[in-house]
Amino acid sequence: MKSIMIIFNQANTERVEYMLDMLEIRGFTFFEDVQGRGSKNGEPRRGTHAWPEMNSCVITIVPDEKAPLLLEAVKKLDKRNEEVGVRAFMWNIEATV
Amino acid sequence: MAIYKTAIKNPVTTMLVFVAVMIIGLFCFVQLPVDQFPEMDPPYVMVMTTYPGASASEIETNVSKIMENSLTSVDNLKYINSTSKDNVSLVVLELEWGCDITEAVNDVRSFCDMAKNQLPDGCSSPMVFKFSSSTMPICQYSITADESYAALDKILNDEVIPQLNKINGIGNLSVSGAPDRYVYVDIDQQKLDAYGISLEQVGQVISANNLNLSSGTVKMEKEQYQMQVRSEFIESSEINDLMVTITPQGQQVFVRDIATVRDTIKDLSLDEKTNGREAARLIVAKQSGSNTVQVCEDVQEELAKIQKQLPTDVKIQEIYNSADNIRNSINSLEESVLYALLFVVLVVLFFLGKWRATIIISLTIPISLIVAFIYLKMADSSINIISLCSLSIAIGMVVDDAIVVLENITRHIERGEAPREAAIYATNEVWVSVIATTLVLVAVFVPLTMMDGMAGIMFESLGWIVTVVCCTSTVIAITLTPMLCSKLLKARKVRIENGKLIDEEATTKTWYDRTVVAFLDKVDAAYAKSLGWCLRHKALTIIALFVFFAASLLPFIMGKVGTDFMAQQDNARLSVTVELQRGTRIEETVKTARQLEERFMLLVPEIQMISTSAGSNDDDGTGAIFSTTMNNTISMTIRCNKKWERERTIWQIAEVLRQELAQYPEIIEYQANISSGGPGGGNTVDVEIYGYDFDITNQMAQQIIALTKELPGARDVYSDRDDDRPEIKILVDKEKASRHGLTSATISSYLRNRVNGMAVGFLKEDGDEYDILVRLKEENRNSISDVLDFSIPTPMGQTIKLSEICSVDEYWAPPKIVRKSRQRIVTVKVTPYETSLGELAQAIQTQVLPQIDKPAGYSIRLAGAYEDQQESFGKLGMLGALILILVYIVMASQFESFSNPGIIMFTVPFALSGVILALWITGVSLDMIGALGIVLLVGIVVKNGIVLVDYINLMRERGYELNEAIQMSGQSRMRPVLMTAFTTILGMVPMAVSQGEGAEMWRPLGIVVIGGLTVATFLTLYIVPVVYGAISKKGERDKLKKVRENFIFMDIDVKDCEDLRSKE
Repeated sequence: MKSIMIIFNQANTERVEYMLDMLEIRGFTFFEDVQGRGSKNGEPRRGTHAWPEMNSCVITIVPDEKAPLLLEAVKKLDKRNEEVGVRAFMWNIEATV
Repeated sequence: MAIYKTAIKNPVTTMLVFVAVMIIGLFCFVQLPVDQFPEMDPPYVMVMTTYPGASASEIETNVSKIMENSLTSVDNLKYINSTSKDNVSLVVLELEWGCDITEAVNDVRSFCDMAKNQLPDGCSSPMVFKFSSSTMPICQYSITADESYAALDKILNDEVIPQLNKINGIGNLSVSGAPDRYVYVDIDQQKLDAYGISLEQVGQVISANNLNLSSGTVKMEKEQYQMQVRSEFIESSEINDLMVTITPQGQQVFVRDIATVRDTIKDLSLDEKTNGREAARLIVAKQSGSNTVQVCEDVQEELAKIQKQLPTDVKIQEIYNSADNIRNSINSLEESVLYALLFVVLVVLFFLGKWRATIIISLTIPISLIVAFIYLKMADSSINIISLCSLSIAIGMVVDDAIVVLENITRHIERGEAPREAAIYATNEVWVSVIATTLVLVAVFVPLTMMDGMAGIMFESLGWIVTVVCCTSTVIAITLTPMLCSKLLKARKVRIENGKLIDEEATTKTWYDRTVVAFLDKVDAAYAKSLGWCLRHKALTIIALFVFFAASLLPFIMGKVGTDFMAQQDNARLSVTVELQRGTRIEETVKTARQLEERFMLLVPEIQMISTSAGSNDDDGTGAIFSTTMNNTISMTIRCNKKWERERTIWQIAEVLRQELAQYPEIIEYQANISSGGPGGGNTVDVEIYGYDFDITNQMAQQIIALTKELPGARDVYSDRDDDRPEIKILVDKEKASRHGLTSATISSYLRNRVNGMAVGFLKEDGDEYDILVRLKEENRNSISDVLDFSIPTPMGQTIKLSEICSVDEYWAPPKIVRKSRQRIVTVKVTPYETSLGELAQAIQTQVLPQIDKPAGYSIRLAGAYEDQQESFGKLGMLGALILILVYIVMASQFESFSNPGIIMFTVPFALSGVILALWITGVSLDMIGALGIVLLVGIVVKNGIVLVDYINLMRERGYELNEAIQMSGQSRMRPVLMTAFTTILGMVPMAVSQGEGAEMWRPLGIVVIGGLTVATFLTLYIVPVVYGAISKKGERDKLKKVRENFIFMDIDVKDCEDLRSKE
């Protein structure tokens, strides 16, 4: 089991949801309105006057075989429009109850 | 959930809400009455008191003064004026505009009651009147007739007026100049003397033979009858056959033996002619609150129907119809609004280059404007010049908010987002600032609604309408606009080729991209370059701009820009008043009138109709106190063709007429006024001379008139004090009179019977009554010796001649005494021609008044429209200051900064430069409406600054270096600034160039806003960034360093700390 956290510009919400549906990923946790900024050249998303945009975050726990598919999809979404911005991070799940 | 999100997620509801708003708005629009101005009751209350037999100066001391003293404590009183004429005192209270007149009238009434006891015996109770807009005539018709002239009165009263009265909303209908039928019994004085009878005897005989009397009931067997003596005249000729007396010789004397009975129309005292034909005038008023245009149209329609039933020689012709005026000015304003709409849409299309976006923006215009009609309906107002003009002002501003929202959404979509999400999140980013900029406008327009005075009434609806419209446009901008964007805007077209994403739009360039965008890019670049230069030479730029500002003030300081109260309108109507030598007989006056008519027609082919009245209606009706025509005055209403059909303006025509009038030796005074129709009345500088002694004030007035006439722009200079009137005074020798058993009272009634006539009942016909008047024939009462030759019966049964007990004296008396603020006053009125009111007043102030000797106790001041102008300019100045402060507060709280709004405020003086230059170039003078424009400019120009400073702040927060941030912001915000400025400027252009009726009134506003905004916009683009750069030098430039000072904990050397701790 892998945990994948996708952090994306709010404007991408519908596309991310579509992506999860297409990959038949049912379970996820959605955090709305999260702030952040990219490590290299990602624009800050702070909801302030200077940086008014905001991100959202989805954490989904997927079987190992689906993880690369999801990452691939995120990569495609990022290629669609890099300015808007989407990132995914994956780590192992040690146990679930 | 935020409102914009709800709107986007429920597109059907959103759309239908606005559809419903539009339907309600259109419903209100259809129901709204159309009028020239908002309903405003002129704040005048009049108190009329009659004191029969008192002369003007007696009236002044015994009645007018007492009334004035008690009425000065009425609330809201501005001025108290009084006119004392023979027998009548009229006190006019001028109250503050906008106060409750009903309340004031009650107040006045109670003060009158208190004063009643102090009035002399024999004085009538004071009558209180108020003016209301429903007493003003809305249209006038002249009814001309040839053969039927004698019957005109009957035709009008029996056929025309009853039919017109059926019209919904019609008010008072009055007829002036219609001939009254009278039966005159003209008696020969010599024949009376010969038979030894008096005039009164003849009168008694006539009235004794003209009656119907009940003589009780008669019972006959089973029935009972009323008995009546019936001897009323059926025809006037019956009077001839009445026997007056029997001579001692037994000879019967009939009326026909001593008198001529004339059944005719009333002797001439008022002569009404239209284009030289016999005419009567029908004056139509409307009920308060009814639709002027509708009533006028109905009257016109009804008159057309009535015309068919009238004798063929009776013609009904329109003298003046306010509906035409209103319709024309409303139409021309509607045209302006439509052109403004078109221009705004074109500007938006030019800058955005996309028809879908343009449609979305343009939709906000009709919806916001229609909401104004809902407001008007709720406020019980009407569609009038003010409300339409407000729409014209608002039209360029309503798109601004929608443009900001749409621009941000487009930016998001161009990044590749889906329109729906882009709409939601892009609106989220800007909606707060959109509301904030609207607050600035609200801060400008809401104070307008708080003004008082006449300007207050006019600007109240303007303030509210623009506020309502702008707020609506903001609501639309954050609901309907994002919703429409989410539906109408298309995401960028992309396709996948060989697994790669290809943006189709980026590869194809349209015609628009090649031309307009390329052009705008070039402008951007040029601007950025010049701005960069300015930023490097801040001091030089600022000095240069201030030199420009100072230079632009020069035309104003040098007096090249005139000031007026209200721009005069050319509505093709002129009124000419001519005064002949005092005491001129009405017949002579009429002759001059005919001559003038003929000459005017010849000189001015533009004239379509001249309606002349000469003389006065000598009825003692209340109307008579308001009319100023006397036997020696002629007043003419002249209607020319419309201004776009002729080359000369109405002012030039008036000048031609004045020059003609100046050539007649018999004319002692003349005026040619342009009836402007607007509120506030005439456009004159009044020089008021206060002082008690008539001779001294008259002399001062004559001096002022003589000097003022030499000023280049002064026309129609006249004093409102009428010359003394010749009177014949009959002095009764009381001793001789009492010897004959006569009193002054009986003598005066005998005199009245002989000269004015003795009313001896009526001739009844078809339910109408016509007066029968017995008096001496004209030849017997035409000269002083004739008067002295009057025979008067004594109680002893003899007749004596008037000369035995009276002597006659001729003398001059002032016909009326005018007072203002409880002092006697003479007013010299001056009308400006080809100069402005302010300049004329200035010239009088500096060139005329210093040359006048002012004895102690006499004072002179300038008043009239000039005073109103000064007053409203003062108020507008205060208002401007208030607005500046409010705008500053709104901006300061928006930026959370004291200095940023200050930077933006730097644009305001440059707006003034623009205004002065625009007025100077066009030669238009600054009037109240123009001054209003300046006040509005404060709000409009700072909007541009806000956009710019806001973006500079943004760039700085994003970490750009100061100059770089400024230059970037300038470059990126230039288009939105230009776009919003152009929409507002072009929205005003139709108003500034319109040639339609009533356009003169709004032209100054258009010119002021266009001039001010054009200059301010271009200079904003330089002055704001440069001043921003200069001011930010010290405080914010080294932001990073300042921040570091707050967080010095980072400088702590952790290792040292640890070492220290371990040592302890």
